[in-house]
Amino acid sequence: MADVHDVHDGLVADLVALGRSVPSRPVDDAFVRRVADGIAAVDGVAAVDGVAGVSPAPPHHRRALSRRVQAAVAAVVAVVVGALAVPPVRAAVADLFGFGGVLVREEPVPAPSTAPPPPGAPSHLTLAQAAELVPFRPAVPEALGDPDGVEVSADRRVLSLTWETDDGTVLLDQIGARLDYAFAKSATGVEFVTVAGNFALWFAQPHEVVVLEPDGTVRRETARLAGHTLIWERGQVTMRLEGDLTRAEAVAVAETVAETVAD
Amino acid sequence: MRRGDPDAYAALVRRHAPAAVRTATFLGAGADAEDVVQEAFVKAYRALDRYREGSAFRPWLLRIVANETRNLHRSAGRRAAREAKAWEQVAPLLAGGRAGAAAAASTGRDDAAEALEAAERRVALVAALGRLATPYREVVTCRYLLGLDEDETAAVLGRPRGTVKSRLHRALRALEADLRAADDDRYRQEVTHDG
Repeated sequence: MADVHDVHDGLVADLVALGRSVPSRPVDDAFVRRVADGIAAVDGVAAVDGVAGVSPAPPHHRRALSRRVQAAVAAVVAVVVGALAVPPVRAAVADLFGFGGVLVREEPVPAPSTAPPPPGAPSHLTLAQAAELVPFRPAVPEALGDPDGVEVSADRRVLSLTWETDDGTVLLDQIGARLDYAFAKSATGVEFVTVAGNFALWFAQPHEVVVLEPDGTVRRETARLAGHTLIWERGQVTMRLEGDLTRAEAVAVAETVAETVAD
Repeated sequence: MRRGDPDAYAALVRRHAPAAVRTATFLGAGADAEDVVQEAFVKAYRALDRYREGSAFRPWLLRIVANETRNLHRSAGRRAAREAKAWEQVAPLLAGGRAGAAAAASTGRDDAAEALEAAERRVALVAALGRLATPYREVVTCRYLLGLDEDETAAVLGRPRGTVKSRLHRALRALEADLRAADDDRYRQEVTHDG
């Protein structure tokens, strides 16, 4: 077979010329600095996976969002650094964009190999009652059926559903977008997965969950160790599924989430 | 290069950023090309542990850039819509380019006529590229518009080298046929008008 270049000489030359006609721009110092800043935020200190106090912006506001999220990242990192007093280690900010301000940092500190099961949500409420309290429509994974426990946080921003399964407790937190505190985590082994085609994060290792106050301070007493967790976004609500599930199981459950019908 | 050496990394950023921004642009990142590349560099830094020492850094980086660019249009929904959106960012850039400047730079009448013809050919070529199925347009973009070699193209698109080769071959044949058909159409129209 003749080389494609020989047969299509003229066309190839035109294509190359077409490409070259678009000027290449060298990058300026500010560009390099922004990369360095990004790395510094990543390579900084303790590991945090937070749902920071940033309202998700529509994806076409990516540029603006990235700056805003970067600011939020810096704030959260600084606070957690102070609180945990962990020496600087490399860490990672995950895909911050279009994801309700979730921020993930990895911390290669030895983590306990097992985590206690997620706390069960005592069934004080029915789903319909809970729906009245939170500013979003609760969603339930069809794979799990009706929850055994339904609870709404005191500030009415987090809805927690629990199921008692053969494999222990499974917890699904639903966090309203207009969130002014965050879950912060120390985490290793964060993986990127997709839920129904949308970006999601899978935490295979036990990691610390810390709640940040509106002013960005860490509520230490809320820190607890979490097991396998999947975080994804569904419309304006950040979903957090935790339990003794494999990655595939968690994703399968997440993909069956459907909104409850308002009564 | 190892993780934990920011100065060395800054040098790497400077060296590869123009090609990376160009790649993001040609794959449809539009005005977000620089943001995409910044993010790609941060991710690449984070993943340096997984980068095989001794293999070329550029294709590895460009692969991350290509993935990030795809993610950019994630919100556009179905794949066809995403791909259309990406191409919308690229087509005007290619059709515009330096054609105007080239035309202005030419002085003689012959040159002007030539520049006009070149501009026409270019617009026709961009239109034909637009009609090409995305996998074929992608290999043409990487191989010829970006000037990557076959191995780099394969690495950036995450396809075996054989696939890249066969797609290139078919893409060129399809383009050639498309351009000829478009040319014939134009000729027929002119004839009809004259008659």
